[in-house]
Parts: sequence; C-alpha cells; structure tokens
Amino acid sequence: MNNRQNDIACNVGQGPVTGKEAGLMICHYCHKVVSCHDYDEATICPRCCATVHTRKPGSITYTWALVLTSLILLFPANLLPIMQVDYLGSQEYSTIMDGIIYFFKEGSYGIGIVILTASVLVPVFKIAGIMLILLSIHFRWKTWLRHKTMMFRFIEFIGRWSMLDIFVIALLTVLVNFGFFSTISAASAATYFCGVVISTMLAAITFDTRLIWDTCIPPNREEE
Amino acid sequence: MNPKKIILCPECDLLLEMSSVEEGEKLLCPRCGAILGAPVKDSVEKVLALTSAGLLIYVPAIFLPLLTFDAAGIESSGSIADSFLALINTHFYFTGLMVFLTAILIPLVKLVMLFIVAASLYTGRSSRKTAVLFRLYHHLDEWGMLEVYMIGILVTIIKMLHMAHVNYDVGFYCFIGLLAATLGSAALMDKKLFWDEIDKQALAREQKEGILPCRRPEPNNGPPALSTQGRP
Repeated sequence: MNNRQNDIACNVGQGPVTGKEAGLMICHYCHKVVSCHDYDEATICPRCCATVHTRKPGSITYTWALVLTSLILLFPANLLPIMQVDYLGSQEYSTIMDGIIYFFKEGSYGIGIVILTASVLVPVFKIAGIMLILLSIHFRWKTWLRHKTMMFRFIEFIGRWSMLDIFVIALLTVLVNFGFFSTISAASAATYFCGVVISTMLAAITFDTRLIWDTCIPPNREEE
Repeated sequence: MNPKKIILCPECDLLLEMSSVEEGEKLLCPRCGAILGAPVKDSVEKVLALTSAGLLIYVPAIFLPLLTFDAAGIESSGSIADSFLALINTHFYFTGLMVFLTAILIPLVKLVMLFIVAASLYTGRSSRKTAVLFRLYHHLDEWGMLEVYMIGILVTIIKMLHMAHVNYDVGFYCFIGLLAATLGSAALMDKKLFWDEIDKQALAREQKEGILPCRRPEPNNGPPALSTQGRP
C-alpha cells in the first residue's frame, strides 16, 4: 500500500502501544479519545453522547450468530425462485443462477459478471471471509493481521452491493407490467435474500477489527 | 494547539501521535493501514451546497417516472416509489420494506441530517444535538443504497433492451442528479474536520457562557492503571 510513512502519525516513543494498555479508548463514531478508568466499563462520549467501549461488547458472539444466520438463509435464497415471469398466461420461475445463465447465453458477459459478483460471489465471500477472521481470532493465529484487516475493510465495503438483485426485481415488477402479455413479480427467495444481505451487513457492523490485533498483545515492536 | 495530540487507530487500537496533514493527502495507520484523516478544502461549504442540491432534487427523483418500457404498443412506466409499492402490492412486505428503507427513506434522512449538521457548523450554531445528529448519520451511512439502485436501473435497462423500447423519463435524470449530490456530499465530507469544528464551537460556547471547558483526556504514559482495578 502506498502509505506516506513519514507524514503519518508515528508511534509514541516508549509508552504503551495500544489504547487498551494505555487506559484509553476511542469513541467508535466520532473517534474522540476518552480515558477509561475502569477496565471494560462503558462510558458516554463527551462529544457525541455515544457509549464508548474498549472493545465492542459481545462482538464475537453477535458476529458468529449473524454469520451463521446468513449462511443458513443463503441456501433458500439461492435455491428457491427469486422471480416469477408470467408470459402469455404461462408462469415461469427463475432462480438467481437462472438469471445469470440467461445473460451469459445472451452474450452480455459484462452484465452477467456484475450480477454474478453482486448476488452470488459477494455473499459467499463475505460469509467465508468473516468466518475465517473469527476462526483466526479463536485460534489466535498471529499471521496476516494486516491482510485480514484489509479483507474485512473490503467485506464492509462490498456488503451493500448484494441488494442489486432485489432492486432489479423491484423495478422489473413495476416496469414490466404489460397486462396479459407479460408481467414480472418477485418470488419467495427475495425475502430470504434480503435476510442474507441484512444479516451479513449487521455481522460486519458488530465485528470489532481491533480483536484481530489483540492476538498480538504483547505487541511486537518490529511489526511495522 | 496541543503539541502532542494522542489519537488511537479506530481499527487496530494503536496509540499514535497526530501529525499535520495537507489537503489531498491521507493519514494512514502505520500498522493496519486504516485511513485516519483525509482533509478536504472548504468541506463544510461544499457539503452544505451539495446536500441543498440533493434535497431540492429528491422529490422529483423519487416520485417522477424513471423509465417507460414500450412493448408492442403497450406502455408501462414507474418511479422508485412505485417499485416499493409494487412489492407491497404483491405481498412481499419484508422485501418492500427493505427497498423503502434503503432507497427512499434513509437517503432522505441522511441528506437532511447532513444538511442540518453542515448548516449549523457553517452558521456557527452547532450544539450537542448537532453532535448526536452527526453520530446518527454514521449509523445510517451504509444503509442508504442509491448507487446500488443506479446499477439496478442499468441492469434493468440492459435486461429489457431486447424485449421493449426503453424511454428515459425526467425521473431518470433527476435520479442521476440526486445520486451525484449524495455521493459528492459523502466524498467531500471531512469527518475529522466536522468533529473538530463541533468541538471548537462547543468550547467557544462554553467559554462564552462562563462554564469551564470540558476536560481533555491526558495520555497516560505510566504503567496501565486498568488491570489493578480487578474485575467483578
């Protein structure tokens, strides 16, 4: 990564290395530094009134629960039909994969890849990635810390893009409404798919990236 | 100015000393690479301008028809609000609610919040409420999904290109404007500057009213006092 190390905030001399050791904590929203007198006790941020914790409470438990929820929901979301097409009186159901295959058959590879990425690869990658990070914290794997943080940042960023398919179906429901000739509406998998998106996004919110770095306490000064 | 301003990396909890940063540069955490600051010139003014533009264009963008599909003489058109209603009418309440929140309600609430925050900072009338509002904005931030909706519109157009004639309506252009205003205001918002400004105005207000300024936490360089307390 092209970081300008010289301009960057540098580690303070001989003092403690992490905020937790120094008895400081940071407000998660306004990034104000607050001193914590009692370990693990929450205080109110003097600037934005949010509750400040050294680490998000129950982070691992919540994240595991939400990731497992999304893993379960992922199966009905992908196996059940997500769209119902009525064409001249005959009903046709299609799953997410059917829609993608349709685009590849039509020859529009670009759009096919966009949908494949947004609705299949992104949820799978998110669930696998968060589970990998959680396992690495559980077993205290001390390697690839920076890469794991970068992966999590990426997971956080791509999370919302899974809603793409839902928006497309919502628009098609309105716009392809030619009476008896042809209509499109959502089908059962849409609800499950929304569930996957919500639970993976919440899993990313409840997870505390600082837990990745807590595995290397006492920290290695040669880390950088 | 505090010569040794201590900050913590929000992503890896590393204790750092704040250093100056120029506009157009980024301040990164040396350990995990988190972005700690990216100053933008005249951030408050720019955000105020963009959010006002976004609010002006919001109603036509959401309620005017986006596209008209024309298949063998039968026309059908709809707006973003219609796409939510269509899901409700076909009894997909949960999905409909998600579309309503992510594409209609939260983008509006985000714009209004950011507008109020930028306006109160601009006029120098920020209060504790401004800080709370700005925090709530961060809560909602990733749940507004206008740009995802935009890609959704493009996918829909490409999907229907073979079957119907596509006409672009006023709503489509308004939506692009709304999207540009929303994305622009988020990109040009310098979070650190906003919080510093809120702090500065709060301090000035307290001094004016004769109340002691809030105590700033001093960096504790001694042995950590936290473990001795013992947990219940």
